[in-house]
Amino acid sequence: MYHLDDDEYVNEPYYRKTMSVCPECLQPISAEIYEENEQIWMRKTCEDHGDFRDLISSSAKYYKWTHYAIRDKDGNIIWQFDKDGETNPPDFIGDDPRGCPYNCGLCEQHISTCSLALIDLTNRCNFNCNFCYANVLQSGYLVEPTLEEIDRVMAHFRSKPIPAVAIMFTGGEPTVRKDFPEICKMAKDHGFKEVIVATNGYGFQKKNGGLEFTKKCKEMGLDTLYFQFDGINDSTYEKTRGIKNLMSYKQRVIDNCRKAGLNSIVLVATIAKGVTDIEVGNIIQYAIDNIDTVRGITFQPVSLCGRIAFEEREELRITNADVLKAIERQTGGKVSMENAWYPLTTIVEFGRVIAYLADVEPIEFTCHPDCGFASYMIVDPDSGEMAPIMDYFDPLKVIDFANRFWAKIKNKEKKPIRIFEDLLGDFGKTLDKGLNFLDKTQLRARFLLGVLQYMKKPGKLMELFSRVLMRGDWESISSFSYGALLLSSMHFQDAYNMDLERAKRCIVHFGVAMPDETVKEISFCTMNTIHRPEIEKQIAKEITAKIKNEFDTTTGQAVVEIEPEVARNGGIKKEEGET
Amino acid sequence: MPEEVVDSEEGMKIRKLVELRTTTAEEYEKVMLDRVEEFKDIKGDKSGFNNVIQNTIVKAFSTLLDLKLGVEKALGEENVKKVHKAIDDILLTGL
Repeated sequence: MYHLDDDEYVNEPYYRKTMSVCPECLQPISAEIYEENEQIWMRKTCEDHGDFRDLISSSAKYYKWTHYAIRDKDGNIIWQFDKDGETNPPDFIGDDPRGCPYNCGLCEQHISTCSLALIDLTNRCNFNCNFCYANVLQSGYLVEPTLEEIDRVMAHFRSKPIPAVAIMFTGGEPTVRKDFPEICKMAKDHGFKEVIVATNGYGFQKKNGGLEFTKKCKEMGLDTLYFQFDGINDSTYEKTRGIKNLMSYKQRVIDNCRKAGLNSIVLVATIAKGVTDIEVGNIIQYAIDNIDTVRGITFQPVSLCGRIAFEEREELRITNADVLKAIERQTGGKVSMENAWYPLTTIVEFGRVIAYLADVEPIEFTCHPDCGFASYMIVDPDSGEMAPIMDYFDPLKVIDFANRFWAKIKNKEKKPIRIFEDLLGDFGKTLDKGLNFLDKTQLRARFLLGVLQYMKKPGKLMELFSRVLMRGDWESISSFSYGALLLSSMHFQDAYNMDLERAKRCIVHFGVAMPDETVKEISFCTMNTIHRPEIEKQIAKEITAKIKNEFDTTTGQAVVEIEPEVARNGGIKKEEGET
Repeated sequence: MPEEVVDSEEGMKIRKLVELRTTTAEEYEKVMLDRVEEFKDIKGDKSGFNNVIQNTIVKAFSTLLDLKLGVEKALGEENVKKVHKAIDDILLTGL
C-alpha cells in the first residue's frame, strides 16, 4: 500500500493510548487503541459501568498507513498525517478539572481552527427520523435562534484572527424557516466565501413555489446544498426516513436546482450496514448522471446514539474503511481503497503554501486522520474512463515537494522582508512592499514549476489547477472543483468510539448564541455526544400544538403554515393572540 | 435520470455502475468552463479569468506541460526520476 509496501511498520501491531468518555456516564476515561485480527479496536473501562469495546477501523493496514510518520535518522518525526493546526486564541479558560471536552467553548486545549462554522437554524423538521439528535418532536422543545442571534454567531466566527471561510446551516431542516434566504445573505455580508445548507431538500422540492425559493436562495448567496441522499430506491428511504416514494421528492430538488442554476450539490449519504451500504455505487452513478448539478458525495458512517449492547453495536457499526471497501466493490475497482483515498489532512502544507503565496485566508484541514478521507474522480478525456485524480499527478511527490517547500518558507510568513522601512520611512515601506512582491513572484514560479514536474496529463483541468497554484483564490478553486467529482467519507464520533485526540483537532464547530449574549463555539462530535442537551436546555422555547402538527412526517409535507415570529416564540405569540 | 436499471437485489434497483456515456468527459469540461464564464461575468475586471497576464502565464504553463510530457516519454522512467530530483534541488535552493 502506497509507500509502505516494503516497510516493517505495516507488520508491527498498532497500539496507542488516548482519552475517551464512558458511554453511560460520559465521564472521561482512558482508552487504548489496538490491533486485533487485522482490525483496529478501542477498549476502555469505567469504574462504575464496566468494560467497553468498539471497532475503530475494519482495516488495520489502511489505518496504520494513515498513522504513518516519516522520521529522521534520530527518530524524530518530520512528517505525519496528524497535524497540529494554527489556532485562534481560546474563547475562555475553562475551570473544569476534567479538561477537554468539558471546558468546550472553545478552550485552550483545542489545536485546530474552525474551517466550517455550523449554525443550527431550527430543530423543526418535516421528517421525523428516529436516529436524529435535533428534532422538535423528539426533544419536546423548540430551538430556533433569532436573526440577531444568528448575526452574533456569524460575527463571532468571522472576527477571529483566522476566520472561518465556510458556513453551513443545519437543523432540523433549515429551509422550514421562511427567512432562510435572508440568512444566506447575512452570511455573504459577513464575508463567508461558501454558504452551505444541510438539507433534506424541503424548501427546494415544493411543487408550489419550490423553484422560486431555489432561485431566491441562489440570488441571496446560497452556494451549495449538502443534500441528504440515502440512495436511489424508495425502499431505502422508507427504511431510513420512514417515508414512502421519497425518490421523486429528491429528484424535484435536483431538477429545481438545475433550473435555478444552483449547480453545486453535494449528496450526503448516511451509511448504515445492510440498509444504505448497498447503495453507494448507485449514488456515485447518480452523481455522474447529474454532473451539471452534483459536485460531490459525502458518505457518513452512521453514529450510534443511546445505550446499545456490544452485540448490537457489532451488528450496526460501520467504519470509514468499510465504506471505502464498499465503494471499491460497487464501482468494479474503479475507485480503489489502496489508490484513491487520502486523509483530509494530507494537503495541509500544500494549502498553506498556496494561501501564503496568494495572500488569501488559509483553509486548514488539520483534523485528526481518523476523521475523514477524500478523493477526486476525473473523467479522462482520452480514455473516456473515470479515474482518480491521482492518475493526473503523482500525489505523494506533489505532497512531498509542498512539505519541503513549506518547511523552507514558513518563517517568511511570520517575517516579511523589511530592509528599507527603518532607514527611509514611508518611501522605504514602499520599497519593502516591492521587494516582498518580487520575492513572492519568484516563489510562485518555483512552486508552480516544482508541481509541474509531477503532472502526468495535459488539458483544461490542469490549466485550472495551475491557476489554483498561482492564485489560490476562490474562483480558481471553485472552477477546478466543477471539473471533478469530490468523494469523501467522514465518520462522526459517538460515545462508544469517542477519541478525545480527534475532538481536540475538530475543524467543524457549532456556534450557539447563549442567553448571556456570549457565543459558545463547540466542536461537532462533542456537541452531539456531550453538550447538546445542556446547551439546548438554556436556549429552548416551549412548543405548542401548532408547531407539533406543522408537518405530516409520513409524507414530509406541511400541514400548517407557521410564520417566522411564531416559530421563534415557540408558537406562543399567535396562539395567545398577542399580535 | 436515465432509466438503465440492469439488475435487482431483493427488488432494489442496482444500476450499471460507473457506466459513462461517451459524452461524459465533455460534459464535465463544459460544467467547469461554464463556471469560469460565470465568474468572468460576475466579477468583470476583478476576475483572474479576465486578466491578460494571468491568462498568458496559464497558456505558457500549458505549453510547458505538453513539452514536459513529451520529453519525459523520450527520457524513460529512471532518467525522469533523476531529472526530477535535480529540479527539486534547484527549486528549493536558496529558500
